[in-house]
This record gives sequence, C-alpha cells and structure tokens, in this order.
Amino acid sequence: MNNVRTDHCFPADIDFADRTFPFSYGSWPVRLEHSIATAGLLQPPLLVAGENGFRIVCGRRRLEVVRNLADKFGQEEISVNVAEKSSLQELFRRALWENLAIREFNLVETADIYSAALKIFAGDEVENEVMPALKLPLRPRFRERCQAIVGFSQELRDLLAAGSVDAETVDLIKEWSSAERSALVDLVAESNLRRNKLREVVGRLDDLARRDQISPLELLPAVRQAVLAEAGNIDVELLRRHLKARLYPQLTAAHLEFVARQEKFPWLKPFRLDPPPDFEGGEYRLSFTFTGSKEWEKICAQLNAVALEDIDELCRRS
Amino acid sequence: MNSAAEVSHPAKYLRSLFRPTTVLVEDEASDCPLVESIIDRLPNPEVVVVKRPTGADVDRLSQDFSPLTTLFLARHRGRFLKACPGTAETYRCCLYQILHLGLGCNIGCSYCVLQGYLNNPFITQFVNLDDAFAELDRELKRPGTFYRIGTGEFTDSLFMDPLTGLAPRLLDYFGRCPNAVLELKTKSVAIAGLLDYPGEIGETIVSWSLNAPQVCAKEEGHAATIEERLTAAALCRQRGYRIGLHFDPLLDFSGWEDEYRQTVASIFAHLQGDDIIWISIGAFRFMPQVKDVLKENHPQTNITAGEFIRGLDGKQRYFSDIRRQLYRFLVTEIRRYAPNVFIYFCMEDKYLWQDTFGLAPADNQELGCWLDRCCYRFNRLNSA
Repeated sequence: MNNVRTDHCFPADIDFADRTFPFSYGSWPVRLEHSIATAGLLQPPLLVAGENGFRIVCGRRRLEVVRNLADKFGQEEISVNVAEKSSLQELFRRALWENLAIREFNLVETADIYSAALKIFAGDEVENEVMPALKLPLRPRFRERCQAIVGFSQELRDLLAAGSVDAETVDLIKEWSSAERSALVDLVAESNLRRNKLREVVGRLDDLARRDQISPLELLPAVRQAVLAEAGNIDVELLRRHLKARLYPQLTAAHLEFVARQEKFPWLKPFRLDPPPDFEGGEYRLSFTFTGSKEWEKICAQLNAVALEDIDELCRRS
Repeated sequence: MNSAAEVSHPAKYLRSLFRPTTVLVEDEASDCPLVESIIDRLPNPEVVVVKRPTGADVDRLSQDFSPLTTLFLARHRGRFLKACPGTAETYRCCLYQILHLGLGCNIGCSYCVLQGYLNNPFITQFVNLDDAFAELDRELKRPGTFYRIGTGEFTDSLFMDPLTGLAPRLLDYFGRCPNAVLELKTKSVAIAGLLDYPGEIGETIVSWSLNAPQVCAKEEGHAATIEERLTAAALCRQRGYRIGLHFDPLLDFSGWEDEYRQTVASIFAHLQGDDIIWISIGAFRFMPQVKDVLKENHPQTNITAGEFIRGLDGKQRYFSDIRRQLYRFLVTEIRRYAPNVFIYFCMEDKYLWQDTFGLAPADNQELGCWLDRCCYRFNRLNSA
C-alpha cells in the first residue's frame, strides 16, 4: 500500500470520538471479539494522524474490540498501519472500498458515509462514485432518508443498526418530530416490537394520523392506554388489533357482525365458516374434520338439512 | 352532426397544459417529422440531442434536466397497440386496447398510479408515428374484429395536444377506420384541435375523467375544473363527437355523497343522457408500492389512509362495503337523470356488479362485447 507505514500504538493513542470516516456503527459480532481475544489483532487497522490522536480510517470495530479488551485486561501495544501524505478523499475511498469488499453497510452506516462524503467530495463525485457504491439511487427519497437517519437519536440509530427498524419505517417516521419518534422508541422498548410488525404499526399510526389530521404523539398514548387496560402490558398482537380496528372501522364491524350472525345458526357448530379474506370476492369456505365414514355420513346429513335461506343469510353482505 | 366552424376559441382550448422549456431528443428519433413540428410550436426551447438512455442514464438526465420543464421525444420500439393492463380475471376488465403514443403527464393528480409504474420521470412523446400507423394498418386488418382503442392510459390524451397536434392525425386515421373507434381521455380542455378538425370524425369518443369538486380541487393538480371539462364536453358533442365519462377513481371522504351528487347534476346541466356513450366507474385502487411514492410526491394528501384491503389482484382497494356504497349511490344518481345510459365498472368483481346492477358480465369477453355494442360501428360491422 502506498504512503502507508507500519507502526505500533496503544488504544489510548486513538481518537475514537473522531467520525471523519464513519464506516462502522453498531455492535461488533461476538465472533470478532472471540477471534481477537484468542488470536490477537491479525489485520492491522489503518489510521491517520489527527489533532487528538490517531483517527480511524479502517478497522473501527476491531479497534473497539481491542479497547474493550484493554479495559478488562490492560493496555497492550498493537500493530497498525498509518497513512501518510494522503488526501482525505484518497483515505475515504480506500476505506469505502476496503469495507465494501468484505461486508454490507447497515442503514446507519450508509447514511453516515453518505453524509460524510458530502463534506469531503464534490457533488458529482458523490453522485457518480459514492452513491452507486452505497447502492443509493440518485433520487431525493434516498438522500432524504440518509439525512434523516443522521439526525435520529442514538436509541433509534441503535435500533436501525441492529436491523430492528427497516428503511420503509424510516421513510414513514422521518417527517415525525423528535418527540414523536422518541415516543415510538419507548413503545418499542416496552413491547419488543421488531421490524415487520413495527413497520405495520408505524404505517397504521401514520395512516391514522393522516386520516384524522392529528399527530402520532396524540395517538400513541391513547392506543397504549387501551392496550394496557386490556392486557396489563403492551401485547404486540393486541396493539396491532387495536390499531387495525381504529383504521378499519367498517371492516372490523363487518367481521364482528359476521361472527355474531353465525351464532344464530346452531348447525354451524361442527363446522368452521370463513368469509372471503377481508370480504373481497364472494367465496366463503366451510371446513370440518372427520375421522371416518360414519362421521362423514353424519356431517353430510347435517349439511343436506341446511336451509338455503340460512346460507343466503350467512353470505349476505349488503 | 355539425361540421367544423371557423370560430375563435377561448385561449384555454388552444393551450397545452405542458409548456416545456427544454426538449430532449433521442438521437435515433431526430429525423421523425413530429420532432420538428413540436419544437416549432415552442418559444425558444433548449433542444438537446441525447443517446437512447438506459435506466441509469435516465436518473442522470433527470438530475441535469428538470422533468417539470423537459419534454422527451423518443422512438418507441415495442408494440404501439397493446391490451389494457386491466387486472386479473377475478375483476372484470373491458378488453380495451391502448395505442401507446406517450408516457406521463404533468397535471399532477395525487392519486395517479403512473407514479408507481413509470421509471422514466420525463413526459415522453413517441414520435415515430409512421411506425404506429403501419402497425395499426397491420393489426386492424383482422377480419371480423372490432377494436376500442384509447390513448389515455399512460398519459392524458389531450393535455399537450396543441403542442403535438396528434389528435387531428389520429382523427385522420380513425375517422375512416371501419372496425375501430378511438377514445381520447382527458382532464384538460385542450380541444381546439378537435373542434377545428375539418374532416370526418367517424365515431371518435372524447372522454372526460370526472370526480367530486373537492377531489378536483385538492387532488387533481392543475386539471381543468369540472365545469370547464363539462363545458368542453358539450362543445365536443356539438361538433359531433360522442362523449364518454369516467368516474375513476371514486374516493371515500367525508361528505362524498353531496359532492358526487353535485358532479352528476353538473353533467346533466351540460349534456343529455343520449350524448353519452358510456360512463365508467371505478373506486380508488393502487399497487401497494405506489403508496410510498404517492405520499412522497404529495405529502399533503391523505387519500391512501382509508380502509384499504388487499384485493384479489394484489392491489389495495377500499373494503367492498365502502365500494358498494359509493357505486350504488353514484349509479342511482346518474339513473335519476339518464335511466338508459350505459354504466360499467372498471376492474370490479362480479359480486359488486350483481349487487349494484342486478347482473354481471360472465367474463371479460362479455363486458367487452357490451361496450362494443355501444358503438355504432360495431353494430354496422356485425349487421353487414
């Protein structure tokens, strides 16, 4: 590698707070810690001299593991590569491609890298080189998503980096206020909502807020209280049902009415009658279980005795 | 039927809704006569010749040229005439044919599903018309086949007609075509080219998309008002065109009954039932992925926040009880004024057909046949 010398330093010599090269965010894999604890730091990180010690160009996660181990077992000198006479752009490129060669970036890393690149590179370099490398389409939506993530609270960024919140959810909450997002993070902590179900919950909160022209911050406490009152804790399934009932009042009423209507027909007891999914289309499904020919015969006789008016009543939609 | 008269039209009938300042011309299309004709009608446009763009090039071009002010003139290489991308057989589709002459429009309706379908942000006009007409010549030769053909599926048929002059070209062709009718669908009033057309207009249908006044004001960008559209429809009827009306998408919002009632009353203040060849009705529906694009492009709208369920074709649709309420109300209102006008559903299931009309087409072919029969040419063709 050109313009790089091999050197040694202690973790304390490194400026961990510097995020000029923000290529890592989030917890390191357990196996990395195990590897370094067992075999030491085999691949020297790339550093560059800075005002408050060495700045990390490549290898932040390895160095954070080393620092963590040093806190437990004492400081040990480590072997590092130190870049010299290299421009910021050269170092950034090197770190970008070295990282890309071995892994995918999470959403926070992608956002941080994009944001840092905007400060280091000219606009066309960001568009022609950095954004394609990060697989970011050249569309406002993706730029705005990155800018939003950079401004999120650490708690929310941690959830994103851990994969508990996905990009679609970010697109929904990026317009929310920090208080609204903070309330959401609290709900996540309370309920253990993750990724897909969280996206659904946030989507419904967003739809409700749009429909009723109110803030998600006004909605959340009411929904939370309703769930708590019923279950004593924030049960995820109950939370989803509550939101669905609020967003789909007519569909919910139709389901309840359908269930109530079935009660009027005692002959339905051995059967299970399902309406079309969300009452779309007109195909009802009747199912039953049987153990042999006698039971089959009995069920067929029961079905043959059903009045057609009952069927019309059960399938009535208007 | 009246013939074209030498009259001066209000400026709005002469004006293209889209007035680009830049024209991108695909290099392989630059020799098409329509290119020069369009450029000549623009005041000092910046004209840039570009290579046929691929997906990444289009993204880049849209960075350099604003899609809001740029028209893209291109050669279409696929089929011009294609079946309307209706939907699965679970919903009845009328087997319409689309003459694919352009992509996109700048009216800016918040509910426009094209936002999710088109991967090209530029309003695009295909300029190799000779290829289009040659394909029509080949296709329409099929004996005993009748075609209902429209140009308003992937764009608005008339919004920039004063710029392209396409409508008269199409009338030249379809006015004489024995086994096809052309339907031009629009939300604009750029009808001067239609009113002034001196030749045989045949059975050409000019159709307006209609909605509630509130929807028009809040969700339909800079489309003409309902009154303007209906006034234009009445003028086209006077010139001899048949009029189609499309209530699509119907939206469920607070006070929709009064609003849609108002629009129906406006229709029949301008037109008689007999002036109208058909009225289609369809409730708002969209592919799930369109929702994000729509919210991104129109942050103020709340039209996707209703009771949408996943339809049998994967599209988001209003829960069927809501659709039933909308349909029954609208059909009843229309029937008060025009008991015999042909009303049909665009992409709706047989159960809602049955609930609303008391009958349902057995399949897409039957629905298509019902619409064909509305056209005089179909009847002449079949009685010949």
